[in-house]
Formats: sequence, C-alpha cells, structure tokens
Amino acid sequence: MARKTIRSIPQMRADMPVQAPAVRAENFDEVALGFDLKNALIESERCLVCPKPNCVPACPVNIDIPGFIVRISEQDYRGAYDILTESTLLPAICGRVCPQEDQCEGVCPVGDKLEPVAIGRLERWIGDMAIENGWRNIPPIVANGFKIGIVGSGPAGMACAADMAKASCDVTIYEALHRAGGVLRYGIPEFRLPNKVLDAELENLRALGVKIECNILVGRLFTIEQMLNELGFDAVFIGTGAGYPSFMGIDGESLNGVLSANELLTRCNLMGATEFPRYDTPLGLGKRVAVIGSGNTAMDALRVSLRAGAEEVYCLYRRTRAESPARIEELEHAEEEGIHFEWLTAPVEILDDGNSNVRALRCQKMELGEPDESGRRRPVPIAGSEYEFEVDTVVYAIGTNANPIIGQTSKIALNKWGYIEADDQLATSMAGVYAGGDIVTGAATVILAMGTGRQAARSMKTYLGIRDSSAVYRTTPDHGEASIFGIDPTERTHVRVRVA
Amino acid sequence: MQDTRYLFQRNRTWWVKVAVPRAERDALGYDLRRSLHTEDLAEALVARGPVLEELRQELKDARQAQKAGRACRESLMPDDENGFEILLREDFSDVTFLLEVKAPLLAKAAKPGQFIIVILHEHGERIPLTIADFSADKGTITLVIQAVGKSTREMQQRCHAGTHLHALVGPMGFPSELGAQKIICVGGGLGVAPIYPQLRAFKESGSYVIGVVGFRSKELIFWQDKFEQYCDELIICTDDGSVGIQGRVTLGLEAALKLHSDVDRVIAVGPPIMMKACAETTRPFGVETIVSMNPIVVDGTGMCGGCRVRVGDEIKFACVDGPEFDAHKVDFDDLMSRLGRYKGDEARALEGWEKALS
Repeated sequence: MARKTIRSIPQMRADMPVQAPAVRAENFDEVALGFDLKNALIESERCLVCPKPNCVPACPVNIDIPGFIVRISEQDYRGAYDILTESTLLPAICGRVCPQEDQCEGVCPVGDKLEPVAIGRLERWIGDMAIENGWRNIPPIVANGFKIGIVGSGPAGMACAADMAKASCDVTIYEALHRAGGVLRYGIPEFRLPNKVLDAELENLRALGVKIECNILVGRLFTIEQMLNELGFDAVFIGTGAGYPSFMGIDGESLNGVLSANELLTRCNLMGATEFPRYDTPLGLGKRVAVIGSGNTAMDALRVSLRAGAEEVYCLYRRTRAESPARIEELEHAEEEGIHFEWLTAPVEILDDGNSNVRALRCQKMELGEPDESGRRRPVPIAGSEYEFEVDTVVYAIGTNANPIIGQTSKIALNKWGYIEADDQLATSMAGVYAGGDIVTGAATVILAMGTGRQAARSMKTYLGIRDSSAVYRTTPDHGEASIFGIDPTERTHVRVRVA
Repeated sequence: MQDTRYLFQRNRTWWVKVAVPRAERDALGYDLRRSLHTEDLAEALVARGPVLEELRQELKDARQAQKAGRACRESLMPDDENGFEILLREDFSDVTFLLEVKAPLLAKAAKPGQFIIVILHEHGERIPLTIADFSADKGTITLVIQAVGKSTREMQQRCHAGTHLHALVGPMGFPSELGAQKIICVGGGLGVAPIYPQLRAFKESGSYVIGVVGFRSKELIFWQDKFEQYCDELIICTDDGSVGIQGRVTLGLEAALKLHSDVDRVIAVGPPIMMKACAETTRPFGVETIVSMNPIVVDGTGMCGGCRVRVGDEIKFACVDGPEFDAHKVDFDDLMSRLGRYKGDEARALEGWEKALS
C-alpha cells in the first residue's frame, strides 16, 4: 500500500456525536457520547503513522500513539488496548480529560493543514470498549514482600499504585474522603467523566491487588514517619494534590453566596447535592451565578451551575478567550450551552444586600498590555470602567494551592509556596518517600499527575532494588525451576528502610 | 435429534463445557470443561448430569469467593452493615445524646481539640463533630450530639448500640497547645463535652484547671463526676439557678477571672454566641483566650474552603489551620452569618424528613 499522505487521508475529522446543547444543559449525563465504530475507523485512517512521531514525546506518559491507531485501523482493538495500557492506566479517563490540543494533537503534523487526528477521542473509544468488554491486562504477580503506601487516590496515586503493583509490591492507597478517585471523583463532574468509568478503572486497580482504604486522613490519623517506622511500609508516595482553594482577598468574600469552585463541585459530585433533599447535603445555589476564572475548573463550575438550576451563568475572566487556559472543547461546549462570557472583566468588590448575602459584583474592565513572565499579555485595568453586575452567587475558580496537611504533620521539606520539595526523580527530603502530582508541580492536569506518579514509581523501584518491571511481568515466573547458577530470577534484594 | 447441550467432542471423546459469566472470567477463564472419558454418546449423556452439577458448583464457589474478596478489600469503605460500630449510647436529655464508637486507630491518634467527620448513611452529609472523649485502651471515641437539624435528628433516631455509622474520618485540625500554668476551661451547650478532654489533658500536663460549664437546669447536667475528677475548681452555671451560679457561663468565667489574677489562658468551646461573649468577658482582663470554631465544613481536609473564618486580617480555614483560634481576633459576626447560609435548606430538609416519618 502506498504511503499515506496529507492528501490521501480523510480530510475532515470524523464526527463524534454529542448531546444537543439544549438537552444536555438540563441533565448530568455525559456530553460527548464517543465515537461509533464507523467514525473511529475513519478517524484512525487520518493518522499518517509518521516514522518519527511528534506526538509520542509530547505525551506526558509517552503512549505509542501511532502504534495504537494502526491497531484500530487494522481492527485489532484488543491490540490497541494492549499498547495503550503499556503506558497509561486509565485510557477512558485520559481520553476524556487530557488537554490534547496542548499535547499530542498540538504537534500532530496533520494539524498543519487540516484538523489534527482526534487522538484523545480514539483513546477514549478504546478505553470505553475495554470497560464494556471487561478487558484487563493483569500481569502474573508474585509478591516480592515490599509494602508500598500511597497517600491520596487521585490520578498520581493511582498511576504510581498501578506501576508498583505490577512490579509485584503490596500496595495500599489511603484516601481521606469516603470515596476513592481524588479530583476525578470530587472535581470532574459526571457529564465530563461518568462515575462508572472511574469505578471501572478503580476496579482494574483492585484487580492488580491494590488495596484502597477510604476515610484515612494520613498525617493526622498516622504520619508519614509512622507509615515507615511502625506500619512497615518500605516506601511511600505522596499525591495529596493542590486542593486548597484561592480567594482574591477583595471585600465581601465572606458573604453568603461566595464559595470556591471546589466547594461547589464537591457538593455536587461527591455529596450528591443536586439531588437535595434526597441526599442530605444542600447546594444553596442562586439564580444568577458568576464564576471567576476561565480554566477547566471554571468550565466545570459554570456547567454544573447551569445544570443545577441557575438561570443565568456568567464567566468573568480578566484576559480574553485566546488566553483562557481551559480545554477548547470544554470552552466550546460551555458556549453552546448558553453560558455568558464576560472577557476582560475583573471583580473588585462583592456587594451585599444588607442581609449578608451577595447582591452584586462591582467589576472593572481590563485591556491587554505587555506580555508578562508567563508569556501571556498582562491585563491592565481601564480607569473609570467600573460597573455593578447583579448576581447572587459568586464562585471562585482562580486556582488552588498545596494541601497543607502533610507539611503540617511531617518533617518533609516544603518549598516557599508549601509544595513538597522533590528532585528530578521525585524523591523528597525523607528517604523512601516520593511525591508527585499537584502537590509537587502545582495545579496541573490529570495526565501530568499520572506522568509524575509513574516517574515516582520508577524511582521507587530503583530505590528498592526492583528490576525494571517490564522484564519481569511479561514472563511467567517459574518458581525457581529456571534458576541460573542457583539464583531464582524472581528473587529480589529485600531492603527495609528505617527513618530516625 | 439428541439433546447434546453442554457436550462437545474432542478427538472423538465427549467433554462437558460450561461458559463462564464475564464477571468470573478473570478467575476461571472463558469456560470450564471436563472430559467424560467416553466416545459413546449414550454414555456421555448419562454422565453429563453429575459433571454439569459439579461445574456449576465450581462457578458458584468462585462467585462467592470473589464477593468475599471484594467485601474484605472494601472493609474500610464500609456500608451500613460494616461501618464503624456504635458500642454505647446514652441520652442526656431529649436532644442531647452520647455515642461511643469503635475506632481503634482514631482513638490512638486523637488529641484534645481535634474534630472528626461522621457520615450517617450513603446519602448522608459530612457532619463535623468535636471529639468529646477518646480512649486508646478501649479503642473508642465518644461523641456528644445535639439533635437540632435533620441529620442529627436522624442520628438520634437511628444510632443505637450495635448499629453502624457509614463513615468516620479524622482526627482533623491541630490539637490544643498544652502548657499553661493556670487555665480556665469554659464549656457551654454543645461545647460541654468537648471541653472535657481538654481540661483532662491540661490537668495531666500539670496545669491548675478551673472548669466552667453551663447547663439549662439541674436535670440536664451530665458528667459532673468526670469534670470534678480533673478540675481543681469546678463552677457550674445553670440558666434557672437550680445548681451553682444562675446565668450564663460568662458570669462564672468573670467570677473566676476576678478570683484568680494569675490565669494565663482561657479556652472556650460552645455555640458562637457564647464564645463571642467569653471573648468579650476576657478582653478587659487581657488574658489569652482560645476558641474552637465550628463553621460549615464539607470535606474537612482543606479542599472546599467552606469553613473559612476571618481571624484578624487573615482568612483561615478552620479545618486545616484551626479549629482553635485567638478569640480576640476572630470575627464572630462573620462566623454566625456564614453559619446561617443554609438555614432555608436545612429547614426544608427537616420538614421533609418529619413528613416522611409521620
């Protein structure tokens, strides 16, 4: 077959069905319905299968992207899943929530002339198919006696847990909330990431032998030091995330009706507040909601508010749409659903109604000035442009900071912003303790957190003297029969670590 | 035509084959098969019955083993049957009751001043409660609850010895800082029980402890013996004057402050209005005063910011920065107005629940 060229491939992206905006704004069902077989095959044909692909290094976990797409076009779907699971634990989740336009799809050469290959949608399609068919790639695991503790069941912890379990360690994940999944559970709403997808991925983890224990607040119930010294863990991974919400410090922030996007999302996603009073947790959302910020969390907060019964939902951002850090797809979905965007607008004060409730926002118009250190043009207030904007609920989605609990309760070194200090190998200042995800990098993406979780797992294996797992788990261990010079190939050096 | 279901031939020998449901395939593979060791169909048909039974039994066992395995793995993600067991319940009045809950790890880790979060059932909310007592030896923690809203009323109705709480997590927040020479511990309303482990800890660390506790009337007094055991002086205030000083705890606090000029710390736990009054009482005396905040909390791990309180010029999260703060800096009006945020919703929930009951 002749080599595919930019002219020979299907020129248009295959359609992915979505729920109509008017319908979906009323329900919490998933918006993007995913490819069907025909469209997935068309889309897989659009990959040029570059000999030196740009997309693989652009992926934080280096998925062999052309590899799995070729398998799809060959209709070997299980093969595609096998390739995906070599690199990623959660294809169904990453296909949904990765910012592909900044990663793999952003560097796809097809994107120079046409729309880039819809890598994320294909990944999701395979991930969903795996869940539906109960596919699993569970390597034969022979316990090696090492005990690994993971703090936090979010994406970083899940990725690290999976890798360590595949390397035959005894892995336990501790979660402070009453349900596992971290930000995937409390943060990302049902219409973007259905709970059943997350449950399926957690079930995969359990099938690897990972124990998930909820309602355990590490740091307060027992400390990291106690995990190493008393509970017998050989290594610990900290993935507690950056969940501590920021506020702006303007007047009126303690009024009723001002809340963080985290609070709004936690109430809805984790506590079922949209079904109050069937669930006991109230939501207390008003009719006119303003969300400050324009990242992915802001998009989630906006769209949750709309679905939870707000009549008018506004997004206030001090820069323009071009600088908005949200995924393009989320931004487009939000626009289609009828969310009002007020670009170049910043709040300066929250006004009360005399009863400690929010009545309005006093806002200021901005214009873009010189680029700042992040490369984005700095917003500059326009003098005399202040105006009042009537709302009854104000939601802050302007970023989050490090969760302070581990820092408060252990001797692990923190940097000046309270994040855990970790080197390139993600080792912390305490021997045997590794950290990854937002608690090291600052607020970032699910896939980046997974990438750091896997990196930490690699470092842990080196630290514990565990051989590269791929060499071990692909072969079936022979239980000593194939010993070389009397050395069992599955035998490992067993080191226990004690911290003074 | 013979009925040859479940039978197939391999090298002319007859075999039985049973398909494995998807859920068990990881453990058992695609199907279970067994040779009948015969090439004769008639014989095979006869032998099929018992073999089929055996294979089906095998399937059933595998399913049960898997279920048991899952239950074991999820033992710390309890449902209502295997949650945190309530060992003891004691009623102090028609609204106040005590629960002693089995939680060995928590009992070992807990320190005075910390709080926990309870979830009653799967649809329940996360209820923050200050720890009223804990015993590492018994492996239990004690909670004293006032049934005022829907969730606490439901707890009052459902929680009895032998039943289970859906979830219990903690201890949360910083423990109290010990090391005062002479301390006054004030507890009123909901704060009477949580002040107990504090004054016990202070007493055990060598402080001179003056306890001031407030009740509505003589009949509602509880734990007097426990308080007396650890207090060098105990002042009881009752609203109706049936015991001790008649009036609010602030009267007792003021009397104690006047009597002891060398008091170096006051801790007050109770409803916001009481803590505010205590702060105002101690302000003229210039004594360091600590209060324990009880704002609205969702997760209790520093994630939602619902519990933010204004302390001086700063915004603090009670769950991870507190729950104890300098009473002279806390903005109580702010706290009280924020506590009222869900009043309407709470009333609606309570009304709906009562209607459903009747």
